[in-house]
Amino acid sequence: MTIVGRYYDGQSATVHTVALHYLAEYDSGTLLIGDAADGSEIARWAASDLYLVPGRRDEMRLAASGQPAGARVVVRGADTIARIRATLPVLGTKQRRETTRQRRLAVTATLALVAVIATYLYGVPLLASRIVGLVPPAWELRLGATVASQLQSSLGGLQICDPDPGSLANRALTRFGQAAMAQSGSPFALDINIVRSDIPNAFALPGGQVFFLSALLDQAQSPDEFAGVLAHEIGHVAHRHGMEQLISSAGTGALIGFILGDMTGISVAAGLGSTIIDARFSRDAERQADAFAAQVAHRLEFDASGLVDLLNRVGEDDDFARALALLSTHPLTDDRKAALDRLGQDRPSGLEPPFTPAEWQAIKAMCGGALDQRGTPINVGATRTK
Amino acid sequence: MVMQHGPGRPVPVVFTGTRPELAGLLLRGYALLLPTIGLYRFWLLTWKRRFYWSNTEIAGDNLEYTGNAMQLLVGFLIAVAVFLPLYAMVFYLSTQSNQAAIAGYGIIGITLWFLAGYAIYRARDFRLSRTLWRGIRFDQTGNGWAYALRRFGWSLLLTATAGLAYPFMAASLWRYRYVHSWYGDLRFGFLGSWKQLALPFYLTYGAVLVVGGAGLGISVALGVSTDSLAEPRAYLPLVIAALLIGALALRYQARELSAMYSSVRLGGAVVTVTVSGRALIWQYVLCGLALIGAFAVLAIGGLVVLGVLASEAFAGGGFDLEVFFRQMQGSLITLAAIIFGYLLMLGAFTLMTELFIGLGFWRLIATGASIAGIESLNAVRARGEDKALAGEGLADALNVGAY
Repeated sequence: MTIVGRYYDGQSATVHTVALHYLAEYDSGTLLIGDAADGSEIARWAASDLYLVPGRRDEMRLAASGQPAGARVVVRGADTIARIRATLPVLGTKQRRETTRQRRLAVTATLALVAVIATYLYGVPLLASRIVGLVPPAWELRLGATVASQLQSSLGGLQICDPDPGSLANRALTRFGQAAMAQSGSPFALDINIVRSDIPNAFALPGGQVFFLSALLDQAQSPDEFAGVLAHEIGHVAHRHGMEQLISSAGTGALIGFILGDMTGISVAAGLGSTIIDARFSRDAERQADAFAAQVAHRLEFDASGLVDLLNRVGEDDDFARALALLSTHPLTDDRKAALDRLGQDRPSGLEPPFTPAEWQAIKAMCGGALDQRGTPINVGATRTK
Repeated sequence: MVMQHGPGRPVPVVFTGTRPELAGLLLRGYALLLPTIGLYRFWLLTWKRRFYWSNTEIAGDNLEYTGNAMQLLVGFLIAVAVFLPLYAMVFYLSTQSNQAAIAGYGIIGITLWFLAGYAIYRARDFRLSRTLWRGIRFDQTGNGWAYALRRFGWSLLLTATAGLAYPFMAASLWRYRYVHSWYGDLRFGFLGSWKQLALPFYLTYGAVLVVGGAGLGISVALGVSTDSLAEPRAYLPLVIAALLIGALALRYQARELSAMYSSVRLGGAVVTVTVSGRALIWQYVLCGLALIGAFAVLAIGGLVVLGVLASEAFAGGGFDLEVFFRQMQGSLITLAAIIFGYLLMLGAFTLMTELFIGLGFWRLIATGASIAGIESLNAVRARGEDKALAGEGLADALNVGAY
């Protein structure tokens, strides 16, 4: 029984109905393609040149190397296909080889992508701090001013509690800032602002501006707590964390966009993925800033772990926070407290306190004392860097 | 023997693909997307195209898609190289003052809109030049940038005329695409003009204005405003108006597709396509029902899984959030649950849209098409190879071009 199929020669669009014959030889064979009506030979393809082209389920498309790109023999019907496959085992071999090749390609590409991601996760925090070193301070100052003006409009104006730079409290703050920044080699002049707000928070902006909101100051029960949080924020300035995080989250966006092939970066998965990676960087930055505060506490007489007490008072971690710790921009407070206690163990004694009692009184009174009792404090995650 | 058809007798186009087959292909592909961190999408797209192409049969011969995943992957990498500078620019702008940033984003948005035209054209070129029928390749000439410029100019005019210029734009772009399309050494022709689109378009335009205005008017009368929430009932007219507008738009789209495809000529071959608006709308209705069903199944499945993971939280018939979070021990499980749940929802959504809208669209156009004078194509000869195209490049990055 001959097999009937359709033949395209790849040169013209004419379709030939053909009868297929297999001519077996010693170690190879030849596929004879003859006209179905008069039996005249149209083409002969060597069996070793034959390969399968993907097609419909009930259809077999044969092509041969050395023939025009579009030349095909098309055969239909499961029985016929099975017969041809049985006659020409080389087809199955080549098909499996091609599948293996594609699979290897996919695996190689995936491994390459895994390498990129791994490099990214471990390399970018390093790279970001290098790149930050290349960012001109003037640019960062300008950026800080932009962010500050955006904050002004979103918070409805930031009112500085004590605008007189010569007051006892402001002089004490400036002195503390200078002592903290000494040896840090930062190009920025520190600018500490105590501003009126009923949100208990403190944050550092790119370019050296530190904001300490009055509601958090009112909650501070000791100079240790206040100095701890302030030194932590100054740590963000010294490490240029604001700029660093901006750069690394831009990088994360690019990476996630690359993985998902969505360069517009609007997809939710991209958002979630970059949140996880950014949160990791952010937690590292918080630990660095804590370590900075602990270092400052080696030069001035205060207990940096007080910062955790103050943050805990404002908002304690609940089960919800623990469940979502990987998404959190902050380390869990228990871990921070333990780390700070460890860092503070061999603190030298006999240091000068950061503030005299009179100065501490003046700082506490800067915003007119207890203004925090209006409204519920909002837990905004304690300290923020941007 | 040469295949014979009666002179001038129209040959219908047959589509043999089935929904279960496509579903199997897609589900297998989605499963492989996970271990390959999304890279399998290039293979999935290739498989999907093979499905659509090979199941489309014209006068007894199927189309064949000859592209492969590697070409798409390379094209994507090229596109990434194009986009990284743009991305860096967006980042730089985000650090600038508000005015500069807004102006910059505007410029980048316009650039992307312009590039989208180029990408659409290149993607079509990629698909056509990798399509065989009877062993002869299709192709597209013309210039991607010229097309992008044309599309961009028209879209400016479209904005300036509040959409009234649309029939002219559509006819012009259809014409550019088809007069630069080839089958072997035979060039396509296009006889369509704006005159075929004007009447249905302006009627639809008017109807949309009336329906939209009425819906808005009734809702406002019932108390809907921008600064306060009204009771849900008051939004009903708006929702109904939106659904009606969607149906009107689909009805027009069916008209446009029928008129424009039926204006395509290839030598002595005449294409006639009839897509009914009702059938097109029905695809969307089916898709909506399937989505509701899929999400319901996912929601029930999710609750069952959560119930097993954190059974205590559901104790006593209620749901205790605090107990629930305590039971989700460790954030890794929570995170995995969030990501997995999200991926399932996304997968269900893309699966249903592909199965009902993607397949529905293709099948409607294929089965609605017939070609007269197809025997005149027997004399077509192959043209030289066109290997210059690396993937769809920008198109893949911009996510344009269905199928």
